Amino acid sequence: MARSLRAHLLRLLLPPIAALLAVGAVVAYYPSMEPATEAYNQALVDIGIAIGSYVHTKDQSYAFDLPPAVEQVLRTDRYDTIYYRVLTPEGGTIAGEPDLPLAPDASGGSYDALFKGQRIHIVSVLAPCGVGECSILVAETNVKRARLTRDILFSSLMPQMVLAVATLVIVWFGVKRGLGPLARLSEEIKERSPRDLHPIDAAAAPEETRPLLAALNGLLEQVSEASRNQQRFLANAAHQLRTPLAGLQAHTELALSQPLPEPVRAQLDQVHQATIRTARLANQLLALARAEPGARGDPSHVNLKGVVEAEADAWVHQALARDVDLGFELEPAPVQGDAFLLREALANLVHNAIEYSTRGGRVTVRTGARDGNAFAEVEDDGPGIPLAERGRVLERFYRMPGTSGTGSGLGLAIVREIAAGHGAGIELGEGAGSKGCRVAITFPHA
Amino acid sequence: MRLLIVEDDAPLASGLRRILEAEGHAVDVTGRGEEAVSAASHERFDLVILDIGLPQMDGFEVLRRFRAADKPMPVLVLTARDAVEDRVRGLDLGADDYMVKPFAMPELTARVRALLRRSQSHGGPRIVHGPLALDTVARRAYLKNEPLELAAREWAVLEVLLAKVEKIVSKEAIIQAVAGWGDDLSPNAIEVYVSRLRSKLEPAGIKIRTVRGFGYMLEEFKG
Repeated sequence: MARSLRAHLLRLLLPPIAALLAVGAVVAYYPSMEPATEAYNQALVDIGIAIGSYVHTKDQSYAFDLPPAVEQVLRTDRYDTIYYRVLTPEGGTIAGEPDLPLAPDASGGSYDALFKGQRIHIVSVLAPCGVGECSILVAETNVKRARLTRDILFSSLMPQMVLAVATLVIVWFGVKRGLGPLARLSEEIKERSPRDLHPIDAAAAPEETRPLLAALNGLLEQVSEASRNQQRFLANAAHQLRTPLAGLQAHTELALSQPLPEPVRAQLDQVHQATIRTARLANQLLALARAEPGARGDPSHVNLKGVVEAEADAWVHQALARDVDLGFELEPAPVQGDAFLLREALANLVHNAIEYSTRGGRVTVRTGARDGNAFAEVEDDGPGIPLAERGRVLERFYRMPGTSGTGSGLGLAIVREIAAGHGAGIELGEGAGSKGCRVAITFPHA
Repeated sequence: MRLLIVEDDAPLASGLRRILEAEGHAVDVTGRGEEAVSAASHERFDLVILDIGLPQMDGFEVLRRFRAADKPMPVLVLTARDAVEDRVRGLDLGADDYMVKPFAMPELTARVRALLRRSQSHGGPRIVHGPLALDTVARRAYLKNEPLELAAREWAVLEVLLAKVEKIVSKEAIIQAVAGWGDDLSPNAIEVYVSRLRSKLEPAGIKIRTVRGFGYMLEEFKG
């Protein structure tokens, strides 16, 4: 299948074109050759007749007195040497070249022969002399005739050659041109993002590529069906996991609200913490799975300011529970993206900032645009992330040495994954006054 | 208050029942949507806690039938799915609040209290918040049963905050609710009204928290 369509077409076309060329040459050559040689022969016949008029009979003998000036005129030719031989009715040669070959048969007429090592053409003419007829052979070399053959062949073959070359050139470029829509199609497919599983538009494609497109679209449909199945599986997995976790949390909190012996309370407290961590981990794993290419929804217009405003209430309550002052500096920040994933990314940043802040700390959420690039950032005044750790904290399950919180090490990895999926960059830095930590996500121009 | 829990996961349902009973409510539990619809058609509930992922008739359908039958009680939807479309669909169908599993019990009880308070005072003439009482018909306020002087705009701001106790309210939302009088209100003006309200209410233990760069939150009254 690695054969070039172009080479294949040329291989198919070349033999018939060559054959046509050959047949064309033959067909053009003979019909035009005949009248031309006829004319040359007629010229020889005329010379023969002229020579014949100089044969006389005198007293039963023959005389031939061709004046030299006439002979010179008759034998002058631009290309060829002209020979002649005058024979009496009895067969004796009375003038000219006595070795000029006679006709191979009695019919005379016109024939080819070899003379003095050259190919010549001879015509024989009869002239009345006395009671009988003298026969006069006139011959010429083949230079003129060979030229004529060459000219005729050339002039009949030339247009056909041009036609053949043109055909090949047209095939060569025509195939390229004809395959142009396919090339554009492959560009279009190459430039597609892996999350784009829409069928390819077959309307603009040439008729011949429709079966290919139909097959390709069938495959895309299967892939997106598989992706939809995965989404359904995720939704179900979420349901199956979250409901028992909710029950576990309900009963643990219920038990903790009752009077308990101190060791039991401490143990139950551990169970409660573990439950909350498990629930958060389940949420994060689902978010990671949903951030995978192919699992994402269609990008839509999302204003990060609106995303923060919708979640602000929940975040403020989380912050209050840890005695953290959560504040906002919100300006419009329009981006193209998946609202669920963007909310998840921001929630993880805010959760981290609250989690790693000291009691009484300050966390600020900002949205807006710098130089036309929408951004969202979260800044805290906690211990911050040392320069050496900044690259590693974005890795999955990595936790900074000596970290005490309940984190799984997935939060920033999720943020990184979601940012990457939106073509956005993450910047880790220090907060105001070189204190704490600031994580910014900057989006490309919408 | 009379509450109905529609949840097919038995451990979660029993946990919710015990927590809400501990809050002093009478609680019925069912794990089937069809039963919830028929129970609500025969009896009156003050609030329904409704799981979306029910077998056979799902929570969306139950909610749709409640609203089609003109049942006015507030519905708090519980879901294990967090897809944004699900949330929007639930709220479109007339859910009053929405919680994604798993959740902390104090948050659930706070939301149940808020929903009950809202539905009880809905259209009612009297709003009560701890020692504070607003008579919306006579437009008189009382603090610890003493008349409380409130300027018209202070009253309006307080009404907005009282409608969303324990929820943060943006300054823009307050401006929109208060600026019915044709003149522009700046965010600074709102700050002035809130600070006046604070000086009047804080001595009685009623707290208005500032959410930096966002707005305010009237905290739940804690004895």
